[in-house]
Amino acid sequence: MNLVLPSHAIRSLPIQQVATHSAELKSILFEQTFAAEPGQFVMLWIPGLDEKPFSVSDVRDGKIEITAKAVGPFSRALMECRPGDRLGLRGPFGRGFRPRGRGLVVGGGMGIAPLRYLVHRIERDRASFRVALGARTAAEMMFIGDFSKCGAEFATDDGTLGKQCLVTGLAARLCVEEAFDVIYGCGPEPMLVALKKLADERGIDCQLSLERHMKCGIGVCGSCCVDGSGICICREGPVLDRAELDRVADFGRPHRDATGARKGLVPEPPTTN
Amino acid sequence: MNPLAVQIAGVALESPLVLASGVLGTTSASLRRVAQAGAGAVTTKSCSLAARAGHPAPCVLPWPGGLINAVGLSNPGVEGELEELAEYRRTCATPLFVSIFAGSADEFGQLARRVAAAKPDLIEVNVSCPNVESEFGTPFAADPEACGRVVREVKENAGGVPVSIKLSAQCASLARMAVVCRQNGADAVTAINTVGPGMWIDVGTGRPALSNKVGGVSGPAILPIAVRAVYEIRKAVDLPIIGTGGVSSADDALQLIMAGADAVGVGSGVYAGGVELFGEINRGLAAFLKERGFDSLAQVKGLAEREGRP
Ligand SMILES: Cc1cc2nc3c(=O)[nH]c(=O)nc-3n(C[C@H](O)[C@H](O)[C@H](O)COP(=O)(O)OP(=O)(O)OC[C@H]3O[C@@H](n4cnc5c(N)ncnc54)[C@H](O)[C@@H]3O)c2cc1C
Ligand SMILES: Cc1cc2nc3c(=O)[nH]c(=O)nc-3n(C[C@H](O)[C@H](O)[C@H](O)COP(=O)(O)O)c2cc1C
Ligand code: FES
Repeated sequence: MNLVLPSHAIRSLPIQQVATHSAELKSILFEQTFAAEPGQFVMLWIPGLDEKPFSVSDVRDGKIEITAKAVGPFSRALMECRPGDRLGLRGPFGRGFRPRGRGLVVGGGMGIAPLRYLVHRIERDRASFRVALGARTAAEMMFIGDFSKCGAEFATDDGTLGKQCLVTGLAARLCVEEAFDVIYGCGPEPMLVALKKLADERGIDCQLSLERHMKCGIGVCGSCCVDGSGICICREGPVLDRAELDRVADFGRPHRDATGARKGLVPEPPTTN
Repeated sequence: MNPLAVQIAGVALESPLVLASGVLGTTSASLRRVAQAGAGAVTTKSCSLAARAGHPAPCVLPWPGGLINAVGLSNPGVEGELEELAEYRRTCATPLFVSIFAGSADEFGQLARRVAAAKPDLIEVNVSCPNVESEFGTPFAADPEACGRVVREVKENAGGVPVSIKLSAQCASLARMAVVCRQNGADAVTAINTVGPGMWIDVGTGRPALSNKVGGVSGPAILPIAVRAVYEIRKAVDLPIIGTGGVSSADDALQLIMAGADAVGVGSGVYAGGVELFGEINRGLAAFLKERGFDSLAQVKGLAEREGRP
């Protein structure tokens, strides 16, 4: 039996630093009170409002960082947070990426957040890799400086950065030009479906990070369980491998809302499709 | 013969372990997963006539003694629930218990009629959830007369499906509640629901951490309360009991069985133990029986009340 982790108990911490990428996109740093692997996430609590899952976007210099984009009431409130404000933080949750061999790292939109931490880890382990990232427009591309240093290729809908195409187009081309052992992916689900197909065609593994509605983060409430296998995304995911993805019956299909009812997939921006 | 086989109100279970309502069992896939992990039966998250989104997060929090939760009885409503039940039935043979809750005896009857059509193996009536105190729940669980009305209403509409009433440890007399349940036709009782409500304050902000401020306490902290509750009910009635509360090991399950339970609910234990906990406890129970020379769990049931040298 696993031990109950003390860091799973809710605890508020003062924000140490806020890095503003744009009015709608910020990184928030806390003192690091627990270890986290790339791809793992935390539950972030704004007292009096709500608590939501956010990927760890980096761990460095004794700080843990999350990066959020304003998309609704909670994330907009996050944009207003200042150093010194106390937010609840518990984690680390889930199973992250398991880097192995030569990897192709593919990210779309907000899905890029956890990939920088993954790339830092792969670099530390001195493994070889390529990166392909997509966003609607240059202004929405995160960490361009960091990723440029490692030779990332970019795709945007409007051509303001890199190629004017879908990021999955970049990924497919890279797979033809070079041999990879695994595709790591995080982003909108239609993009993940395309990456899974690519991995199937090339006969290589993939590790893709899924999102489902989360309430508890600890494998108890059942709100994040996928159809088919019933895999708990907050506990056994969010990063699933090819064999696990084959057992996700709602992969790329409508999944569930806060009541547990199946809903329509939110239409995704065309870029990352 | 399977030494772990038990019967609850005529339903044959391969293992005494029953997934407790509200933990993982929100969809057919998650119910099936727990069944495959070794549960003898699975109970669905309580469902109501209309869909409910529940309370905002934080709504389930771990603390060193277990969990505290105020999920707020989120569920897709009976319509959505029936789809899940049908899919579960198509894909899994493990007995299915369906939990229902409502605001009035009349509504309980309507719900019972709806879910009975899906032919579950048992209907569990959630009259004891402390989370929605002001809205539903507590009036029935703490009020023998109101509870009796609910039992009659559900039995009348259940079309022969056995009915278990889920009791709360917090009432004037559990023995009296159990007797009322039996007199009004209940086929079994489940005991206990979460305890409390409790409150957890984040000292950094001085704020209650649950969005609902208060929530039901479960997990290891409440095991002794559940054991006492089952013991008290067993002395009062001969109904089958699904003993629930704080189980995370075979020894915990044995305590409830020795107190008089026929089957054992497991909920919060999956936080620390994962779904693998069901298989682990099954193996622990089988090893205990073998080591002590018992052929079945029936020989262990109610040992706490027996006289003489062990
Ligand atoms: C494992 C995981 C990691 C995530 N990592 C990041 C990240 O690093 N950066 C980031 O900006 N966002 C991340 N998200 C998404 C983030 O949780 C949502 O953007 C946020 O909850 C939106 O809340 P809102 O009130 O601002 O918007 P809303 O308008 O309430 O929701 C917008 C969308 O966010 C998603 N969402 C809302 N609530 C939840 C919930 N409780 N659980 C899961 N998804 C929800 C839904 O898709 C919804 O359509 C992650 C989600 C998951 C599941
Ligand atoms: C997150 C959570 C949700 C629950 N939801 C329900 C519910 O919907 N209906 C119900 O009758 N009991 C519900 N319960 C109570 C459990 O079924 C069980 O009676 C209680 O938690 C004690 O058992 P445990 O310690 O093994 O969890 C819930 C418990 C938890 C932890
Ligand atoms: S979020 Fe509760 S089980 Fe995953």
